[in-house]
Amino acid sequence: MQARLSPVVFALVYCIAYTVVLAMDWPLFNYYPQTGEFTWGWVPRLEHAGPSMTWYGLMATAGGVALICAAIIRDKPVASALRNSLWLFPFAAMLACVYMMRIFFRQWFA
Amino acid sequence: MITALLILHGLAGVALLGALTHQLVSLVRAGAMAADAGAVVRRDDSGKSTFVRRYVSVGQGGFTLAVVVLYVVTLIIGGVIYPTYRLDVRIPFEEMSLIWAVGLFEVKEHWGGIGLGVLPLYVFVWRPQQASSHQRDRFAITILLSFIVWSDFIAGHVLNNIRGL
Repeated sequence: MQARLSPVVFALVYCIAYTVVLAMDWPLFNYYPQTGEFTWGWVPRLEHAGPSMTWYGLMATAGGVALICAAIIRDKPVASALRNSLWLFPFAAMLACVYMMRIFFRQWFA
Repeated sequence: MITALLILHGLAGVALLGALTHQLVSLVRAGAMAADAGAVVRRDDSGKSTFVRRYVSVGQGGFTLAVVVLYVVTLIIGGVIYPTYRLDVRIPFEEMSLIWAVGLFEVKEHWGGIGLGVLPLYVFVWRPQQASSHQRDRFAITILLSFIVWSDFIAGHVLNNIRGL
């Protein structure tokens, strides 16, 4: 039997998962560029290793969840049920990101 | 090496936004022409080959593979130079109290990450068999990806002008 991944399911779940893992700070791993170290999972940040980078880990978490769902759920019913509304998922994820980053722009409105 | 990669990142970004913008303009123009069909004789329909007509008369679907490849290449190069930004640019931004610049990069990276996950959907809506059933999705997803690429490109240039790698 040939395994098929559903592109629609992957993209929709990825958008939702990315927003959730960003909000909850759940990267699959952290990278510390100053020392070149990695930490896996939800362990406390390394104090001695300098600044950490979560972006790769966030994409890995969201991608992993999306891959699992895309392997299980079929495209057709989802694409039919959400016909012409699929674009709302990435749009909402983009808006949610801006909302979560609002703290950086507070000085503009101070 | 990092400077070379940054230039390559920028060049791939230019090619990507060129391909996406070309596809989007062609899509918008085709939609407008379909809406006008039969209503009014258009002034530029006199048989002359105008620049706009040549610009939009392309196989829109042919851009899809190029957009996906260029997006992934641009993102990978961006991912390679990102640690240098984190150490050599972001920390000085914080020391200069340019918190908005840090935020601008945060939005850029997250929108770029979301765009990566949207690529399978982009390919799906550009399949010929989805042309009629997912017309609005095709239009909106292409606009969203174009918006991500343009805003990320401009944000990258603004940040690089403040403090380059």
